[in-house]
Order: sequence, then C-alpha cells, then structure tokens
Amino acid sequence: MPYLAKLEKAGIPTVLVDFNDQIPSIEQEALAAGVPNIRHVTASRTIPGPEDVDRWIGPMLEMLTKPLTDQEKAESMHMPSQERILFEGTLDEAQEFYQQTRIIPDPLNAPISVYTDGLPVIVPTEERVAEMLKGTSHRPDEIITRKKGAPRFAFRGGEGDAVRFQPRLWTGTVEKVAINAVMAGCKPEHLPVVLAIAQSGVQTGTTVINHQWMCLSGPIVKEIGINAGTGMMGPGNPAGMAIGRAYQLMAINLGGAVPGVSRMSSIGSPISRGGLCFGECTEKLPPGWKGLNEDFGFKKDESVVLVQGGEGGFNGAQFSPGGYRALQKSGHGGMARRLGVKGLPGPHNWLDWILPDIWVGDREGSRIFVMVHEMAYDLYRLGFKSKDEVLEYIWKKSFEPLKKYRDRSWVDLWTNGWMGTEPTSGKPWKELPDDYMVPAAGNSPKDSYILVCGSDEEICYEMPGGVRRGEMSSVYSIDAWR
Amino acid sequence: MAERDKIYKCLNPTGIELPVKLFPLAPRLDTLDGKTIHISITGEPDITIPLEKKLRAGYPNVNWTQKKSYMPMPIPLSDEEMKTTDAVILGVCW
Repeated sequence: MPYLAKLEKAGIPTVLVDFNDQIPSIEQEALAAGVPNIRHVTASRTIPGPEDVDRWIGPMLEMLTKPLTDQEKAESMHMPSQERILFEGTLDEAQEFYQQTRIIPDPLNAPISVYTDGLPVIVPTEERVAEMLKGTSHRPDEIITRKKGAPRFAFRGGEGDAVRFQPRLWTGTVEKVAINAVMAGCKPEHLPVVLAIAQSGVQTGTTVINHQWMCLSGPIVKEIGINAGTGMMGPGNPAGMAIGRAYQLMAINLGGAVPGVSRMSSIGSPISRGGLCFGECTEKLPPGWKGLNEDFGFKKDESVVLVQGGEGGFNGAQFSPGGYRALQKSGHGGMARRLGVKGLPGPHNWLDWILPDIWVGDREGSRIFVMVHEMAYDLYRLGFKSKDEVLEYIWKKSFEPLKKYRDRSWVDLWTNGWMGTEPTSGKPWKELPDDYMVPAAGNSPKDSYILVCGSDEEICYEMPGGVRRGEMSSVYSIDAWR
Repeated sequence: MAERDKIYKCLNPTGIELPVKLFPLAPRLDTLDGKTIHISITGEPDITIPLEKKLRAGYPNVNWTQKKSYMPMPIPLSDEEMKTTDAVILGVCW
C-alpha cells in the first residue's frame, strides 16, 4: 500500500486487484498510508482465471479513467483521538465491558472480542496498572521505540523510532503495554519481559498458518519461575501463561489484529490461540553448548527473549520416548533397525532417524529444534561439541536434488521465480542441472536453531521457521526494560 | 458502599493511532489510448496471466509495461520510469 500511495501522490493513477476477503485490510492500510480512497477491484479465489478476469477487467480500467468524486479529491488530516480512561464502573460492569464482542461478517460471521482473546481478563484499573508499572524504571508515557542494537523486523524506521505495532501500525507507550500485561494476568516482575516482547511489533502473520511464541533465556527464567522443564509448552505455569497471553492481547489491542479484518491467517494457529511462552533450560546444556542469550551476542548473565513467528506445520513425536530409550540403551526396536545398530547400546545419532524426512513431509526451510537435555547429551557424546556443529550436520542432511526442490510450492517466492542466484553455487538457478544438490533447510545452517529444555521424557519438536540474527535478530534484551 | 459497588477507572489498552495527512487521488486519465500503463504483479502468477494477455489483446493502443515479483512487495518503478508511466495496475496474487 505505501507504494500505491507514493504513486498516487506523484500524480500517477492506480488501481489494485485483490481478493474480496482482503478488502477490510486494504482499507485500513490505505488510511494508514494517507490514501483512504484508493480504487480497487476484487478477484475470486475460486472462479477460473480467464472467466474471473472477464468479470472485472472493464471496471478495473474504468477506475483509471472515471473522474474523481469530491471525496476522492479531498485533502484533509485524519486526527484520531483517544481517551486514557476507557470505562468507569464496578469491576463486574468493567469485566462485561472488556468482554464485549462484535460480529465480524464474511468470512467469519461470528462474534469476536473487541479487547480480549475471548476469555475474561483482569480488569485494568488505574490502581492495578500503577502497581504493574512498578516492574520497570521506564516512564509510563515513554513511547516503545527500537532500542540500540535491537531488531527492526515488524516495524518501520530505524533505531530510536517508534515501534509500529502490526497490523494497523499503531504505536504504544510503556503504560499501554502495562495495561495489556495486567489484562493478561501478568505480575510486575513480568513487565520487563512483556516490554521486550513489545519491541517486536507483535506481528500476527499472513494468510497461512502462523504461530507466535516466545522463549526466555538467562537469569529471568529462575527469577520469574517460568517453566523450562516438563510440559513447558503446556498449561499450568502462571508466568508462561500470562506472558504468552500478553503477546496476543498486545496484537489485538496495540496492533489492532482482528480475525477476518486485519488478521487473515486462514485457519489460525492453536499455538497463537492463547499465547505460548516458555524458558530455556541452560543449566542442563551439554558442556560447551551456549544458551540462547550467548548465541545471540548477549552475556550469560543477561536475560533475553526470543520472539518467534513461524509459518507452517509443527512437527514432533516422530518416535515414542520408549522407542528412543530402546535405541540408546540397548539398540533395540525399530529405530535401531533403521539405523543399523541392532543390539548395540548407544549413543546413536537420533538425528539420522528423523532427517531428512521432516522436509519430505513438510515445507522446505529452517526449523527450531526443541529437544530434551538427554537427547542433547547423546549428541554431545557422539562428538557434537556445540549447537553450531549440530546445526551444520542438520543442514547438510537436508540437501536434495534441484529437480525435487523445484517441485515444492513456495520456494520460488524467495528466489523470485528461479530468477535469482542459488546461494551454495553462486550461479543462477536456471543454469543448474536437475541433479545439483541444494539445501532444503534454508540458505545457512544458522537459519535454524536448537533450544534445550529440562524435561526427562525423550522428545524433539521441530518448530517451523528459523531465527533471524544480526541486525534483524529476533532476540530482545529484557534487562533494557527493567 | 459495598466493595463490589466501588467505581473504578479502567484504562484503554488500544494502540495509539498517529495523525495521518490524507491525500487526494491522482487525476484520472482522459483516455487509455496512447498511454503507458504499468502492470505490477506480486506473488504466484495466477489471474495475472490471463489479465495480462487480455489487456494486451484487447487494448493494443496502450503501451503496456510490466514488472513481476514473486515476493509480496512489488518491484517499484524507478524515478525515470515514473516520469513516463501514466497509470499503474497492481495485481496481488496471494
């Protein structure tokens, strides 16, 4: 939309072709870009292409020639106003107010909460928000900005610029974040974490299945008692549940994310339904393996949060914990048969059992491997002295012939229709033979990552999407918000 | 007054919408004939394939130009190209 706005402002008439269900989102983006009357026609998701085009090609061209209406010629300022106090009343009345819904028409035709994720919230009274704000030294009216060294993904501008929360590109203050933290059930000691998460812009993704989740690393894990062990992704841990929920409430309230209007994930994601936040179990890392904080340029005693948005399937449980133990303890069972180590006690390389199948049954691309400490130790005993060595091994196991890679549905998005350069060879994609081997796990081993958790039941999840490093890093300092 | 009847002031959790200057749309064309109209395509080609064919076949007096990106962001016109382009059609295929 900013591109169309630039053209219209430069005197070049435009028309947009998009799908009908995207119109509310288009209208919101057009307003934010300063061209609320941008002309558009809607295509069908199902009518065959030539027939569909016949329906709207005439109206589309007419939009380039039909004279402007008075409204389209108007120049003005959009000056939204906002009251700090949203509601006055008893707690019961306030609870009812914050739980209000409105019907979102097609493609939902269902009530959606205005201020919440659908569940009751802790009512954000002035007193409770004031108590929450004791969790940070930052002023309540401080605008959430990109901090030095922090990433810029999901919002526009550079260091020091206001974070633009997705998808409506609104801004927020420390107090706004604290209000959402109260509503989510957070305690004041959680606020620096929630403020660090806010720096991400709390994106909610696009039309495909999109998960948002967080992992904490460093002293904060013990400080606030976030679960880094058994069931860390499940229910029961107050800090994890509240902080995970705070992300989603910020997306709803600070970002303006509304299903069917501006949050267009087709089916949605169960991971994003209530929010997901857990801790990394650094004390059980194998010798030499670094924690998330150190891997992303922070010190061991610094607290950070990984804010992750991933698209695609969520793999895991390819084997039973009992099957894993049978492999490693006595070389027994199906896993041992496939690896050819029948009767031989471990350690055996269990990665060989799951790779490269995770890319066969699912999309190409990087993954975050969440594994229990015992399995990390098995890899360590096999000679992997760092996470990076494991990541290199995983990446190499992902190579497949170009002919096979080319048949995947989405990769040419990232290669611009095979018109770009294949990174491992440095040659144009179109010049490479069918049997040239390319990585299915992303351009670099370090696009993927490993998180070690403290559970004892042998399991590994492969979370879709990889990490961003350097300038675009998806890891944020919590200490900056204390 | 009973505790449950106490009146509380409750705060607004929503983000702050910044003021935006609203611009008029660009003046429309008097005719398509003889004009340079740019087709900007993003995403996986789908309806944009028959669209481009029908435009070129049905409107031969238009100078059609085109840029295609499989990514969500369109490939922008250069400043020089903007000087010679009369209108733009942006086709989003997602």
